[in-house]
Amino acid sequence: MAIDPSVRATEADLIREAQAGSRTAFDALVRQYDQAVLRLALHLTGSEQDAEDIHQEAFLKAYRYLGNFRFECSFYTWIYRIVTNLCLDLLRRRKSRREDQAVMLDSSGEEIDLLTNVTDQRASANPDRELNRKILAERIREALDKLTPRERMVFELKHYQGLKLRTIGEMLNTTEETAKNTLFRATRKLRTILAELR
Amino acid sequence: MKCELAQETIVMAVYGELPDDKAPEFEQHLAGCERCREEVEAVKALSKVMSLLPIEEPSANLVARSRLRLEEALDAIPRGSWLVRSWRRFGQSIGRLRGAPAAACAVVVASLTVGGVSGFEAGQRSPEVVPAAQTQHPDTDDDSLSDVAYVSSIVQKPNSENVQVVYNRLQPVTVTGSLDDPKIRQLLLLGTRNRLNPNVQDSSVRLLADECRAGHECDDGPVRDALLKALRYDKSATVRLKALEGLQPYVADDVRVRDTVLESLLSDPDPRVRTQAIGLLEPVGADSSVREVLHTVAARDDNPDIRSASRQVLDQIPQVQ
Repeated sequence: MAIDPSVRATEADLIREAQAGSRTAFDALVRQYDQAVLRLALHLTGSEQDAEDIHQEAFLKAYRYLGNFRFECSFYTWIYRIVTNLCLDLLRRRKSRREDQAVMLDSSGEEIDLLTNVTDQRASANPDRELNRKILAERIREALDKLTPRERMVFELKHYQGLKLRTIGEMLNTTEETAKNTLFRATRKLRTILAELR
Repeated sequence: MKCELAQETIVMAVYGELPDDKAPEFEQHLAGCERCREEVEAVKALSKVMSLLPIEEPSANLVARSRLRLEEALDAIPRGSWLVRSWRRFGQSIGRLRGAPAAACAVVVASLTVGGVSGFEAGQRSPEVVPAAQTQHPDTDDDSLSDVAYVSSIVQKPNSENVQVVYNRLQPVTVTGSLDDPKIRQLLLLGTRNRLNPNVQDSSVRLLADECRAGHECDDGPVRDALLKALRYDKSATVRLKALEGLQPYVADDVRVRDTVLESLLSDPDPRVRTQAIGLLEPVGADSSVREVLHTVAARDDNPDIRSASRQVLDQIPQVQ
C-alpha cells in the first residue's frame, strides 16, 4: 500500500497529536484504517461478530499502547501487526477447540456435508448457481481452515490482501524468508487438499 | 536452476515476488522444463480457485456498529489531561457532553467545581437534572457552582462586558434498596464508570463482584462486561482483584472471560492479580490457550513465585492426547 509522502507527514502529525492525548486525532487515525481492518478480519474469520471483536480489541490496544509507537515502521504496519496477532490468536483458539463446522442446508432443508465429495454440482445438474457459489466458497474456507494459523495468515495477507512478503514478515514479526517459506508450504497444502476434494 | 529450487521460485513468480535478478535464470529453466511449466499452470490455477472466495466489503451496518462500540469503549477510558481540557472548554460554547448519571451526582459534585464538563456517557434513565431553559428560571444570584452539570450557552450582551451563561445543575438523589433491585444494579453499573471517585468505583465493583460470586443474578451481559472492563482497565489493583473474584464463576463457560483472565496473567503489572488469575485458570487447564499462556508465564514472568505457581498448575494438568 503506497502512501503519498505528504499524506504520511500528515499521518505522523496525527499520531503525535494522538500520543499527546488528542482523542480527535486518534479517531481520525482509526477512520483511516478501520474499514481495512474489518475487511481483513471478516475475510479471515468469516464471522461479522468475530470481525467486530477483533476491530474493537485492535483499536483499543492501539489506543492503549500508542505511546510505544516510535515511528520505526509505518503506522499501517504497526496496526496490522496488532490485528494479525489477534487474528492468529483467534485462529489458534478455533483450531484447538474444534468449533463446529458450518453446516449448509439445501433447498429441502437437508444438511449438506461439505467434506464429502459432491458428485455433480454443476449448473446442468443444479440450476441454483447461488448455492453452487456458496458451496464452493465453503469448500475453499474448509481448505483454508486446514492450514496452520500462520500459514493461513500468510496466505491471506499475500493472496487476498496483496501485501508484499517483506511487509508480511514485518507484520508477523518474522523475516521475509520465513514468510516466503510459509507461503510455499501453504500453497502446497492447499493444492493437496483441493485435489482430494475433487 | 534445478527443478527443486524452481518449484519454490514458481510460487514467488506467480505472486509477483520474484527478484529481478532471478528472473532470467528462472525463465531459462522454464523454457527447457515442461514439468516446471506445468507446475506454473497448476499454481496459477490454484490462485484462480482461491480467488473464488470473494473479499467482501464490510457492510455499512458492521462498520457503524464497530465504530460505535469502539467509541463507547474509548469514552469509558480515563484520559489524561481531561481536567485541563475542561478548563479550556468552560469558557467556550458547549463541548461534547452526554449528561451525567444520577447515581454519580453526589460524588461528581465536588469534582465538577473545576469546570463542569463531563465525559460520562448518557445515563439510560432520564437524568435527574432540571435544565435551566425548561424551568424558565430567571437570573439567579446563586454563587454556588458546586452542582454545575454543564454550560449550555454563553451569550455576550452587545457593547457590554456582561455575559449571560446558561448552565444545567445536578440534583443529588439518594436511593436505598436491595442489591437485587434492578435499579440499584443499574446504579452500581454506572458507579463502576466513575473515574473521579475511586471509592465509588471500588464499592460498585466490589458489590457487583460479590453478587456474582454468590451466584445472584449475574448472568446478564452488562454486569459481566463491567467486571471485564474493570479487570482490564482499572488503575487500582484492588479493584482488578475484586473484578477477578466476581468473574471466577464464568471462566469455565465464557470464553471472553477466560481470554481476559489470560490477558491479565500475561500483562497485569500487579503480581497479586497475576497470582489470582492462575488460580482462576487452574480448573480450565485443558484449554490449550491456557496451557500456552501458563508455559509462557512459567518461563518469562518476572516474579519467581508466579513462575513457580504456573509450573505447578501445568504439572497438575493431565496429559492431553
